[in-house]
Amino acid sequence: MRWLIHLFPLPALVIYTLFVVYPIFSAFLYSLYDWNGIKRGVFVGLQNFITLFTVEPFNEMFWNALRHNVFYFVVEMIVQNGIAFGLAFLIYRKIRGSGFLKIAYFMPRLLSVIVIGFLWKLILNPNYGALNTVLGKIGLEEWARPWLGDPDTALLAIILINCWFGIGFAMLIFLAGLQSIPEDLIEAARLDGATGWRMLWKMILPLCMPAITIMTIFTFIQAFEAFELVYAMQGSMGEPFYSTDTLAVYFYRMAFSSGAGDVTLGLGSALAVVLFFIVGSVSALSLYLMRKREVQH
Amino acid sequence: MKQFRFRYVASIVLAAVMVVTGCSSGGTETESGGGQGGGQQVTLSMHSWRVEDTEGYKAIIKAFEADNPNIKIDFKPFKATEYNTILNTALQSDSGPDILQLRPYAPGITLAEAGHLEPLDNVPGISTIPKDVLAAATGKDGKVYGVPLSLNSTQFYYNKKIFEQNGLQAPKSWDELIATAKTLKEKGIVPISFGAKEGWLLSLSHGVIAPASYSGTNYLDKLLKGESDLKSAEFLQSVQRMQELIPYFPENYVGLELNDMRTLFATEKAAMFINGSFELEGIKKLNPDLPLDFFPMPTNDGKHVLTTWVDGSYAVNAKSKHKAEALKFMEFMATKKFGELFANQFKRISAVPGVSTDDPLVNKMAELSQSSATPYLMVVSFAEGKPTTKQTLENALQGMYLGKLTPEQVVEEVQKSAATWFPPFKK
Repeated sequence: MRWLIHLFPLPALVIYTLFVVYPIFSAFLYSLYDWNGIKRGVFVGLQNFITLFTVEPFNEMFWNALRHNVFYFVVEMIVQNGIAFGLAFLIYRKIRGSGFLKIAYFMPRLLSVIVIGFLWKLILNPNYGALNTVLGKIGLEEWARPWLGDPDTALLAIILINCWFGIGFAMLIFLAGLQSIPEDLIEAARLDGATGWRMLWKMILPLCMPAITIMTIFTFIQAFEAFELVYAMQGSMGEPFYSTDTLAVYFYRMAFSSGAGDVTLGLGSALAVVLFFIVGSVSALSLYLMRKREVQH
Repeated sequence: MKQFRFRYVASIVLAAVMVVTGCSSGGTETESGGGQGGGQQVTLSMHSWRVEDTEGYKAIIKAFEADNPNIKIDFKPFKATEYNTILNTALQSDSGPDILQLRPYAPGITLAEAGHLEPLDNVPGISTIPKDVLAAATGKDGKVYGVPLSLNSTQFYYNKKIFEQNGLQAPKSWDELIATAKTLKEKGIVPISFGAKEGWLLSLSHGVIAPASYSGTNYLDKLLKGESDLKSAEFLQSVQRMQELIPYFPENYVGLELNDMRTLFATEKAAMFINGSFELEGIKKLNPDLPLDFFPMPTNDGKHVLTTWVDGSYAVNAKSKHKAEALKFMEFMATKKFGELFANQFKRISAVPGVSTDDPLVNKMAELSQSSATPYLMVVSFAEGKPTTKQTLENALQGMYLGKLTPEQVVEEVQKSAATWFPPFKK
């Protein structure tokens, strides 16, 4: 009866196939049709992909959204993961109250994204929001602005909120990475005279590479699939003036946009396929490249 | 032990199978209740996107059920932004409701073109509804597919008390409107409660302002025949006027949404508020004592116009198992009795002509929508395209308010969008 062991993954496999593999393949299929969401139209081959990249305003919206995703990734890498690593390092060094801090930093993660969106919308409201009020009270009135209504600040505001939300998780991953470094290696380096920054750069960071690799790929996937917070705060139009549009929001708008009869499920599916390839290939490639740089111990 | 392991595995496999089959049967099960039991009792399912109307419909449906004891109606509203997706999926899998609320104009008509709707031309009472109102649910084949429910109108609401205290009256021309706004601003009152964060409110406000620039249906006829286009002087002026109003908007207006605008007006911090008849109830709920009135838009030739359009209608699923009963309900919806129930329940203008309510403002809107109405152009004629021309206008106006586009560039964008699909422009 040993062969039965191979049946154990079956339930998971069935569910995975049904809800992940099958939709991906059907998206491939849908992307080849001209389809308004009510009745599947004619087979158009690769026309949807061509439209996506060459016809206005679809191509403009695509590059605009892609730029925002890249910006999303860069800011999250620097702000979210930078701060998270710093915090993880502090807790690793066992400063006073590190147990409490670990929980405190993780707190935002416990809230639903919709709640966070709502909360920050209130804080950033130009009329009565806490942020502008506080800026006014401390004599920085000229800094007050409609954060989410101004295209120069709206996207950055959303990304920073996302960072605030994500720091706790990133910190836990980094902390696990730091704690997996064998004590004796650090001890040996210390005996060899490594201290402070040298220790961090030459010993701790390289040994933490697996955690950093994982977090980079997580951040990349998250940044390229950014949707919930943008949708909760700015709706499906990526308002104002497409300044907060991301590929996932753009996809949602094309495939399911409601009210107006402008659903283009075929075109939306084509975008989903493109997005799938971007996320899939970049993740695989970076996993391959970064694994090579990890040191074995 | 071995046997135990086998049972364990078998139960997991069985559970998995149940999950899978459970899903598929859940998908095909119809939601329309069907006539169970021998008493010839029929239950019709009715889908809508107006969750907030649930209570009101209870009263209306009760009145219908009293006259038709063998028909029960199960009113089921869905989240407005999800409604189209839910409805489309259900109709395609033949599990749609018997009666469904239909989006007005192009989006709803596509459902009729896909063969999902029953023609209603023979329903008694339908012919009493004006043709331009029926147009919102008329297919390209000329058949009527929905009983229109209500008209929406958009206008300038204003605070009577603030106007009186400052010796102001409802303006009779564009210059008077600007002068009024200027006076209010000098007195430290926000003249117009406005926000540019939500696109749909921009096209809605433009819908109120624009008809004044092209007074009369003369221009509209030319436009819809393709003898003029959206880059014409008339249309450009309407966009320029949207820009001219900027000094009279609240501070930081680019970051404000409907909620903020409504609050500013209801708490008497702002004197005017451009919005729809559908806002009436909401404003009154926020502040029941608000001295509220409205004025229609004054035109260049000294008249005034009220912008109107049909807001949804009800249709019958072509694959309904109880078509006869569903058609009975359609018949009811075209009666004056329904119109009155509806208008009083929701404080809206009924699509059935000659219906009056207990609310003087709604009555005034209903009267003006008979005597001096103009269609909301972006919804009635330009709600097609991908993205729609209406959406393009919304975004371009947002761009204008953010200082990224000039009015000339706005009309350029809008015309470019319309030219991709609007037959008279497609040359």
